[in-house]
Amino acid sequence: MNTIIQKVRNIGISAHIDSGKTTLTERFLYLTKKIHRIHEVKGKDGIGATMDSMELEKERGITIASAATYCQWKDHEINIIDTPGHVDFTIEVERALRVLDGAILVLCSVGGVQSQSITVDQQMKRYQVPCIAFINKCDRNGADPFRVIDQLKEKLNHNAVAIQIPIGLEADLDGIIDLISMKAIYFDGEFGDIIRTDEIPNSLLETAIEKREELVDAASIFSDELTEAAIEEVEIPDQLLLDAIRQGTLKRELTPVVMGSAYKNKGIQLILDAATQFLPSPMEVDNVALNIDDNEAPFTLTGKKEDPLVALAFKLEDGQYGQLTYIRVYQGKLMKGDSCINVRTGKKIKIGRIVQMHADQMEDVEKIEAGYIGALFGVDCVSGDTFVSPGLNLSMTSMHIPDPVISLSIKPKDNASESNMAKALNRFTKEDPTFTTFVSNETGETIISGMGELHLEVYVERMRREYKTEIVTGEPSVAYRETITRLTEFDYIHKKQTGGAGQFGRIAGFMEPISDDNFVFENKVTGGAIPTQYISACEKGFLSCLSKGPFMKYPVTGIKITINDGASHSVDSSEMAFQAAARGAFLQAYFKAQPVLHEPIMKVVVETPDEFQGNVMGSLNQRRGMIIGSHDMGQITAIEAQVPLAEMFGYSTIIRSMTQGKAQFTMEFSSYKQVPKSVLEEIEKKIKTGT
Amino acid sequence: MLKKKLILSDPLKFLVQETNNEIINGCFGAVASRAGVGKTSFLVQIAISSLIKEKKVLHISIQNPVDKINLWYQEIFSHLTRQFETKQSKQLWEHLVSHRFIMTFETESFDFSKLKTRIEELKTQNIFVPHLVIIDGLSFDESILTELDDFKKFAKSHDLTTWFSVRMHRHQMSDNNEMMEQIYGQLSDLFNIIIQLVPEKEQIQIKWFTRVKDINNHRNLFLDPATMLIKENPAR
Repeated sequence: MNTIIQKVRNIGISAHIDSGKTTLTERFLYLTKKIHRIHEVKGKDGIGATMDSMELEKERGITIASAATYCQWKDHEINIIDTPGHVDFTIEVERALRVLDGAILVLCSVGGVQSQSITVDQQMKRYQVPCIAFINKCDRNGADPFRVIDQLKEKLNHNAVAIQIPIGLEADLDGIIDLISMKAIYFDGEFGDIIRTDEIPNSLLETAIEKREELVDAASIFSDELTEAAIEEVEIPDQLLLDAIRQGTLKRELTPVVMGSAYKNKGIQLILDAATQFLPSPMEVDNVALNIDDNEAPFTLTGKKEDPLVALAFKLEDGQYGQLTYIRVYQGKLMKGDSCINVRTGKKIKIGRIVQMHADQMEDVEKIEAGYIGALFGVDCVSGDTFVSPGLNLSMTSMHIPDPVISLSIKPKDNASESNMAKALNRFTKEDPTFTTFVSNETGETIISGMGELHLEVYVERMRREYKTEIVTGEPSVAYRETITRLTEFDYIHKKQTGGAGQFGRIAGFMEPISDDNFVFENKVTGGAIPTQYISACEKGFLSCLSKGPFMKYPVTGIKITINDGASHSVDSSEMAFQAAARGAFLQAYFKAQPVLHEPIMKVVVETPDEFQGNVMGSLNQRRGMIIGSHDMGQITAIEAQVPLAEMFGYSTIIRSMTQGKAQFTMEFSSYKQVPKSVLEEIEKKIKTGT
Repeated sequence: MLKKKLILSDPLKFLVQETNNEIINGCFGAVASRAGVGKTSFLVQIAISSLIKEKKVLHISIQNPVDKINLWYQEIFSHLTRQFETKQSKQLWEHLVSHRFIMTFETESFDFSKLKTRIEELKTQNIFVPHLVIIDGLSFDESILTELDDFKKFAKSHDLTTWFSVRMHRHQMSDNNEMMEQIYGQLSDLFNIIIQLVPEKEQIQIKWFTRVKDINNHRNLFLDPATMLIKENPAR
């Protein structure tokens, strides 16, 4: 482990699916001597890339869980988190960005800035992560890195500037010209590991000079010294230019762009150089925790290893040796044998084995200091928990976790599968906060919920493979919600005096729609019309009506209930009587408040070859989709639409057959919108027939 | 209700009156200015004015992405509805968006034959039947005049009102009137109306030329630099 914190980089690799993140990470590990052979994603050798450690990932060629690993480059230690490229697993990307100090945004030189690059970029903005961009696949037909730089500027608003230019493109990609040293760099040997530096070829000299001028121009905003040197036209020292680019990158006001081909092993060493040169060390990033004792006020951490511990568990994995907890230390240090507090539970935990991860292999270490990433064994916690030294009450900023939008019923086929399924669900829900599970009171079935069809499919598949659980799945169901549309008053008396103790409670008030909260209860009762000790029973009574709305039996959201009058009886009133009165009042007013059903609407972006764009638009239109727009990029058109989730089941199969497998789409939750009347009737029928 | 109020307070109504309705009905028009003066926001106001009258708008942008165009609409719409209730505005906005289709092209991938095919496809499949087409960011030179003439016939046969933005270069702007007359001379056969946006002191003046008659200067219209909305200066 490198003990100089300034030489540590915690970086993530984020990008659109299939733009080559895993291949790139594999090259990093090879060049930093962490692995001794390169395996490809979907490799013919049947091994698969090292970072895709799950069998399913190897088969599908996608990265699902972010594996953390570390490597050493020159005198720097780099911790890498390989992040998933599919939007359905966005929580993984978000978590990774929360713990990282910098990122490499990988873009395809043919596809350019694609839909998910935009999502990932927004996430980077949210967590203020500085980044460099790597334009990959410059060896592919149609490669145009400068078009991608333009897209970075136009679509993502990055102040992107090339610090390299390619020597040749497509099949003729030979090497890279470094615009800082103004040298041509070639990558010899089977895996491009032998670097050869040469003079810039004459044919490219003019372009290189022009692009370097652009680079100096962009960087000079961040350094007066560089501006002076540029004006006086004196020779600019490399370090001066490097420092200026670094300043711009750290402020997120400049995005240096490197280019090459991970598959052809061209330019990889220069990405590692750029990551160490331009991305921040943990000491250069302000990390803010929430002070629980001070109403969650922001609290800036010192980042010093001598101070009390603050660490975040950002990922859990269940391996053969038990639960593995990935952890980032923000302040202080975690030592083997030490004790710390889990802020969420208040429980004291003892630190046992500490390791540093290299994909699915590990190395034992004695401690993890501030700024470093490692993993712990035998710690009972969930993803997102904060660990602190005794006496501190800080929590790391809560992560943005979206509500699940789709559910699926699952049933084990036999008894053996039943216990394994429970184990699997326990692990998955701890690992992934967007994946939830519960047992339906009515049907007794286990229901799993998540962020999309693929999200749930992957977990079902993992149960089959990793836990040998045979499962029968039901039809996916959409998380509809009920809400009201107008203000309505209620005045309800609950009275029961037939035998035994009587019950009496009167509640009056009104319910109204709200848009920014699920449920608000306000007590405006004056003069003790309802005794204070029964107010909470009233709230409880209303709350109990929300889980299953009277309209369509879906949860009720966006409702505010105000009570302003009532009556009680000295003998017959009780908590139970007021809860019953609240339920009666709710039913009395609910239908008058014109309830409606809301459904989740997804933002769908389909990237399709030009010739299929008409068919794709037609298919989205058929699915009640509202097409927001299309972007024609020459050969490829990206179509953006808002489509109800209920209409998107099985769309991946449909789009594959419609476009000969040439189109791909991403889908993410956008908003809840009212279900149209015609569709509402169909849902009503389904509920009645129980299908 | 809000829609009615917006129709009544529509900033474009001055222009509608001044141009004998040429601005809306079957028009083939252009908004000309140098870069950064407000062509897009002007076109977006024409679009929103049509949307609130239940006319569907196809917004073509060359170079700018869908999100950016959408931001223009959101911005102008929020200025227009600032004094109204948020809930009503939100509902109206959702309604308007369903009547709008943004189609963007990379500069090199745009051509009129492709655009015509796209419009026909949208209409045939009943995905979107536009009444107004906005074409923003097209580079104007003599080479496209024939294509424009051809597109004009297409627009007429499909009953489309069409508005273009025309970017003028700084060196062409030494004398605005001379320049406009020159442009108008070249394009008057093509466009029914040409609107020119001219920065003057702290305001952006709106001037126009039509084939019917030159009724310029009847009203003093300008773009408010704070909101980019069309306003009338009553002082004049």
